[in-house]
Amino acid sequence: MEKVKRRSALTALGALSLGMTTPGLAKGEVLAEPYKLQKKTLKTDILVVGGGTAGVVAAIQAARAGRKVILVENGSQLGGTTTTGGVAFPGIFFAWGKQVIGGIGWEMVQEAVALNDDTLPDFSIPHGRHHPRHQVRLNGQLYAMLIEEKTIEAGVQIRFYETPTSAVFQKGNWVVQTVGKGTSTEIVANQVIDCTGNAYTASLAGFTLLRESVTQPGTLMFQIGGYDFKSLDLKMIQARYQEEIKKGNLVKADFRNNIVGLLRSAGDNIQHVLGADSTTSETHTKANIDGRMSLLKTLRFLRTLPGCEKTKIIDVQNETGVRETYRIDGHYKITHEDYVTGKVFDDAVSYSYYPIDVHDENGVVPDHLKEGVVPTIPLRALVPKNSRNFLVAGRCLSSDRLANSALRVQASCMGMGQAAGAAAALASRLNKSPLEVPFADLRKLIEEHGGIVPGSAQKG
Amino acid sequence: MLLFSAYRSQETIRYFQTQTISLQPDTVQAYIVDFKDDVDNDTLFQARSKEGYPVLYFRKIKTSVCFDNKCRLLDIVVYWNVTGRYLGYELPKGEFLSKTEHEPFKPEEYTRLSDLLSDPLSPLANFSYEELVPKPASAAGDLDAVSSATAKNVLDYVVEGAVYTTYKLWHIVYGPAQKEVTDLTEKRLSPGFLLKILESPDASDKLWALNHIRGYVELTPELQNVLLGFIDNNQFNRAERAIHALSPEALKNDALQLALLEKYGRVNYALKNQLITKLKEAPQLSEPLKTALARSLVSANGELLSNTLDLFLHHRVADPETGRIIAGLLQNDNNFLSRKAYTYLKNVKIEDRIVEEQLNAYRVKHNL
Repeated sequence: MEKVKRRSALTALGALSLGMTTPGLAKGEVLAEPYKLQKKTLKTDILVVGGGTAGVVAAIQAARAGRKVILVENGSQLGGTTTTGGVAFPGIFFAWGKQVIGGIGWEMVQEAVALNDDTLPDFSIPHGRHHPRHQVRLNGQLYAMLIEEKTIEAGVQIRFYETPTSAVFQKGNWVVQTVGKGTSTEIVANQVIDCTGNAYTASLAGFTLLRESVTQPGTLMFQIGGYDFKSLDLKMIQARYQEEIKKGNLVKADFRNNIVGLLRSAGDNIQHVLGADSTTSETHTKANIDGRMSLLKTLRFLRTLPGCEKTKIIDVQNETGVRETYRIDGHYKITHEDYVTGKVFDDAVSYSYYPIDVHDENGVVPDHLKEGVVPTIPLRALVPKNSRNFLVAGRCLSSDRLANSALRVQASCMGMGQAAGAAAALASRLNKSPLEVPFADLRKLIEEHGGIVPGSAQKG
Repeated sequence: MLLFSAYRSQETIRYFQTQTISLQPDTVQAYIVDFKDDVDNDTLFQARSKEGYPVLYFRKIKTSVCFDNKCRLLDIVVYWNVTGRYLGYELPKGEFLSKTEHEPFKPEEYTRLSDLLSDPLSPLANFSYEELVPKPASAAGDLDAVSSATAKNVLDYVVEGAVYTTYKLWHIVYGPAQKEVTDLTEKRLSPGFLLKILESPDASDKLWALNHIRGYVELTPELQNVLLGFIDNNQFNRAERAIHALSPEALKNDALQLALLEKYGRVNYALKNQLITKLKEAPQLSEPLKTALARSLVSANGELLSNTLDLFLHHRVADPETGRIIAGLLQNDNNFLSRKAYTYLKNVKIEDRIVEEQLNAYRVKHNL
């Protein structure tokens, strides 16, 4: 009897241990194997790193030119500053009554305007202090979907949530390692276009970078509401704001020492996050947290003010937008003098138009360009010294700080993105480095795709 | 360029911009309007031409301008043109404007006031009444580069010594009355009247008229001709709005389609795409247009190629000639172009042996 009991007990134990390894599965459930990192090697003609303002245009241009393109983006959507950063006004495309940036960027902007029943600004409005009137306001999330559709339609392979960890030039090709969620990928590409905004891939590749000791602040875009600006006692609010700054409860630089500006703008491009840097996960994490903490603190303060008791957050972007980090040391560095005199380079591939616009802890006072001046961007400013088969596009182009403060804006980044995409496509087809591509062919390719090249009949 | 005409007599002070729409007033209509402001007058006057077209609008303003615990009467007549732009002002007989210390305006200050009022983009739009004058130093404390700068900026947009008068008048010009003006004009729209506005040398008058054709009036041949004349590379907005104003009904006309084809050959890339997109609104494509666009595919790239194929797909273009041109793209080295052509031919069944052979060759090459 005792034996029987022991045998029954052992049998039951066996059943239990089997149950632990193979639990009772509900209908439709299957046991999942432990996840194994997916290691892959991919080959492509062109790798674009960064799916922001410049990267999307570069990738589409290269793919429409018939090349095989992979686009790696470390976020969850395309568009960068325009979409994730919330700066959904990617001006400026017209200067002095003429269109100076067209092509793929303009195509995407126009479609977003049309699909949202918006209207384009009147581009005949004078520039100078009216330059914000030239901004085309977009529905950022609609724009993100539209450009994703266009990127896919062009045949680009998009890889979200991935970032490069190394870039080595071997036997005429770039070998770029990337990591992502559950992925470890080796991408072999004939040409690389760094559109990270931070020259991050250029840095991984070992090229020299430039950076200021103090960079421009970033901005967390948000929208507040719940108050009637016209009925507020602004003198009292300013005085209360200053008291809080004196007490150390608020930071003067966070809202440019301008609480009235914050209330008037309702959060549109008003906050400053000092030292905001999107180059690494750690620096970008800090920029995001700093932006959100400052907003929360200020929101709580606003709700103590007469007339603002019901102030509320309507929307906040997911990321703090960043204005300035690293720039490449390129074959040519665009200077402030080049920019404000509108120097036309022999190898100019696109225009740029914006005032010199350096934000600092006190705010920003744009320095407008003189009438008729339209700066240009030479291909050499997109190519790091000592590089082969490598380009950048976007704010990390080779330029001094003042020129960069204007070149960094989105329309200019779109123009150079298209130029970089075209140069990479030709270089890949001809098995050359971008600076070796015949310039007439490059101009022709950009213009065939609607881009506007300085010195061309297409302007306007 | 804004031109001013001004004269002062002993009785009347008037400052006017040049009227850009050449119509003469004949009669005046009065409209009672709830302006929802503190001006003691609820009437908006509309001057009409002999043809019955609105010529201009005016409102008699009697209001108080108050500051520093004092109020002063502002008695003035403000004028708008038919598209809502500021036209000028006039003072009743014997009236004059004065500054803070009761000093009368000088002629150049009247001119400056008119100039400031003619700026629809003035930063006065965003200033609150409280921000208009610099704060006394004692109140400002250690404030605030931004506040001081803001007050200084205000001075660039007001007549010195008449800050509140300028501010109040600017907000009257661009306040609810402006919307009433354009609403009343909209009720009198006709093709002939719009043609008159489109003759204005002012770009914003033209854009206003272009935005008030489609859905408002019949697109007559005369209007259509004016629109076609605007489709060029000189002013993007004007061309874009002119294309927008073309209605599907008008696009039935083969002659208009051919006129647009002629424009297509002359305009820049962005406008080419606008024209192709517009043709999707046509009930059908004329044969010559379709053939010309099909032939242009051979040299088209990127968005223009995509857009043209989308246009053909929209109209289910399936004739063998067009099919063969598109099938020719299947052999192109550019994967983007050949894939676009394949997608089209897969979606639109074209019964032609050559097209089918090329499609099959593409399928074999790409293991499809």
